[in-house]
Amino acid sequence: MATDDRTDVLVIGAGAAGAAVAWRLARAGIGVACLEQGDWVDPRAYPHWRADWELHRHTDWSAEPNVRRLPQDYPVNDSASSISPLMYNAVGGSTIHWSAHFPRFRPSDFRVRSLDGVADDWPIDYATLEPFFDLNDRMMGVAGITGDPAYPPKSPRQTPPIPLDTLGVTMARGFDRLGWHWWPSDSAILTRDYDGRRACVNCGPCDLGCPIGAKASTDVTYWPKALASGARLVTRARVREITLGPDGLADGAVYYDREGRVHEQKARAVVLAANGIGTPRLLLNSRSARFPDGLANRSGLVGRNLMFHPYAMVRGVFDRPLGGHRGPIGCSIIGQEFYETDPSRGFVRGYSFQVARGLSPIASASGGSVGDRVPWGREHRRAYDERFDRTIMVAIIGEDLPEPANRVDLDPALADSHGIPAPRVSYTLSENSRRMLDHGIARAREALEAAGAREVAFNPLLRAGGWHLMGTARMGRNPATSVIDAEGRCHDVPNLYIVDGSTMVTCGGVNPTSTIQAVALYIADGIIRRRA
Amino acid sequence: MTPGALAERRDLLILVLDSLVPASAEFPGAGVVALDHVLAVAAASADLESLLSRGLQVVEEAARANGVSGFAQASPDDRESVLRQVERSHADFFEALVRHTYDGYYGHAVVVTRLGLDPGPLHPRGHRIEAADLPDLSRVTARGPIYRQA
Ligand SMILES: Cc1cc2nc3c(=O)[nH]c(=O)nc-3n(C[C@H](O)[C@H](O)[C@H](O)COP(=O)(O)OP(=O)(O)OC[C@H]3O[C@@H](n4cnc5c(N)ncnc54)[C@H](O)[C@@H]3O)c2cc1C
Ligand code: SF4
Repeated sequence: MATDDRTDVLVIGAGAAGAAVAWRLARAGIGVACLEQGDWVDPRAYPHWRADWELHRHTDWSAEPNVRRLPQDYPVNDSASSISPLMYNAVGGSTIHWSAHFPRFRPSDFRVRSLDGVADDWPIDYATLEPFFDLNDRMMGVAGITGDPAYPPKSPRQTPPIPLDTLGVTMARGFDRLGWHWWPSDSAILTRDYDGRRACVNCGPCDLGCPIGAKASTDVTYWPKALASGARLVTRARVREITLGPDGLADGAVYYDREGRVHEQKARAVVLAANGIGTPRLLLNSRSARFPDGLANRSGLVGRNLMFHPYAMVRGVFDRPLGGHRGPIGCSIIGQEFYETDPSRGFVRGYSFQVARGLSPIASASGGSVGDRVPWGREHRRAYDERFDRTIMVAIIGEDLPEPANRVDLDPALADSHGIPAPRVSYTLSENSRRMLDHGIARAREALEAAGAREVAFNPLLRAGGWHLMGTARMGRNPATSVIDAEGRCHDVPNLYIVDGSTMVTCGGVNPTSTIQAVALYIADGIIRRRA
Repeated sequence: MTPGALAERRDLLILVLDSLVPASAEFPGAGVVALDHVLAVAAASADLESLLSRGLQVVEEAARANGVSGFAQASPDDRESVLRQVERSHADFFEALVRHTYDGYYGHAVVVTRLGLDPGPLHPRGHRIEAADLPDLSRVTARGPIYRQA
């Protein structure tokens, strides 16, 4: 086994959280090495440069690792889950594929137990995270507009909001007619050149990556700065296990390089940033006499409390063209009328409406995320033309509550190309989440009809909607009910930190990455402070 | 099933594709436009090739069972009803057939152009969105904060 030079901090995973931490630590003069199982994505490789770009969405550029099956992917057994996990394995992690919808958690999201009597409070709060939200916004570059009454006042956004265009204006009118909240989305997408990056050209499919770096994937935001500050990034380096020294502290990791050779990377501290599935997988694969049930798993909670954000998709069909193929696919407006708990609704917590753009030509034929394919035969032309460029999709993004039975563990048979046991995901939609989504579907129908939709269809639960992987190594003060403490340190192994989506105690009713990265930067700050 | 078996049923495949997405005044039928794509994806996967090829055999047999000498000889109405029958009896085949037909058809430059979009790569051109004033948010802000203090 080859042994690499010892480093101060080893970061595992170069995605949303890993990149932020690597930059923050390197800038503070701390030696950082990062191991990432994927590669850099060459901007020329994105499908947008090809005429058949849309065909790649369900093949080599699918967000589902089980469909894509690239050498750097690992399989996930999701047969016992009603939602399929989505992710990308590369420098930039899942932000390569993300839609960059960038809302923050609200203050109440950190106080769920105190306010609503369910789940748990976070050991940190919105005020603590606020400077890190702001710092992260500056690093990622956010398009938006301040003054949203759904949030405490925010610092100025880096660029003006993404244009609403005909589609967004139409939908906003619907919300206005009902007197409901809506706001132009905060989006980690530049509408003006910023920080050496180019502005968005409104091509559409950000979910296939952004070939010009207008969308804030961390390979174009944090990583260039982290490397310039001295961080070392090793790609196609797949970590098999985290190792422990005789003192019971983490002392590095064992990984396979791109030729399949085994290396050992020694470190004074280890930061796990492999996402809500990759992190519990790695901990459960790191067994020892001291931790027979997986590293840092004395609580038995590693892998448990998986939260996804269940999505229901509601589509309205309108009588006129809406220009929905123009502009970033996932970002238009957000509606948060039903975000906070109202017991009269029959469920606790709440949800957001995320108004996406329209469907591209092939997706229009297949029904997109509603899945109701346009009929074939002599009715086809009329049915297709009634839909194409005349639809608005409202996504309902519901707050999942943590449930121990929803979990990631190791599959007894499945393994990746290096023979490392693969994760297995078990997930059942809770009754509370079901009632929440049903409420959201009914309200989205009202909003679409108020906006002028003449026909509404919906998908009650999007299977291919596991974009957000959260909660599987949760933060908390009590070692019996959480995996990491309020500083991101594992209760059982104090120099092993977790910073990715696994840390989330609860998941709010909004996309999580702004909050994941703010928490990661906050944890990095603690590492720097303690070292000083 | 030998590789290329689907290509051997090319004439039948064209007729089936044209029944799935018939030509109209402004749009070509899928028999012209989606054929190459369907043949190409089948050529890349022996399983798919076999599924589609066997499915076409079933289509032909179903047409004969309906009293004509073959699918080609059936009227447009009868072709559609034969296909509906096969859709029910051989759902996997039909699902794959329709999916790849729509992929090939709506990914084709001719169809994309007829839809009013520019065919070809999205970059570097992107899409133009007319500049507009910022939206009027006064109604939304007039309510004051709607988040809970915590
Ligand atoms: C299609 C799609 C759309 C999305 N849209 C949005 C959105 O609009 N807004 C939003 O907020 N969020 C969105 N998300 C979610 C967002 O991308 C994630 O929340 C975020 O990237 C999570 O950050 P992370 O650091 O936890 O993990 P990731 O970004 O997934 O990074 C984890 C990294 O760890 C690496 N890794 C894992 N295991 C190992 C190992 N054993 N050895 C070495 N490396 C390893 C992986 O290769 C990966 O690069 C979307 C996700 C997808 C897939
Ligand atoms: S719409 Fe804008 S941000 Fe999205 S991929 Fe295209 S250029 Fe990039």
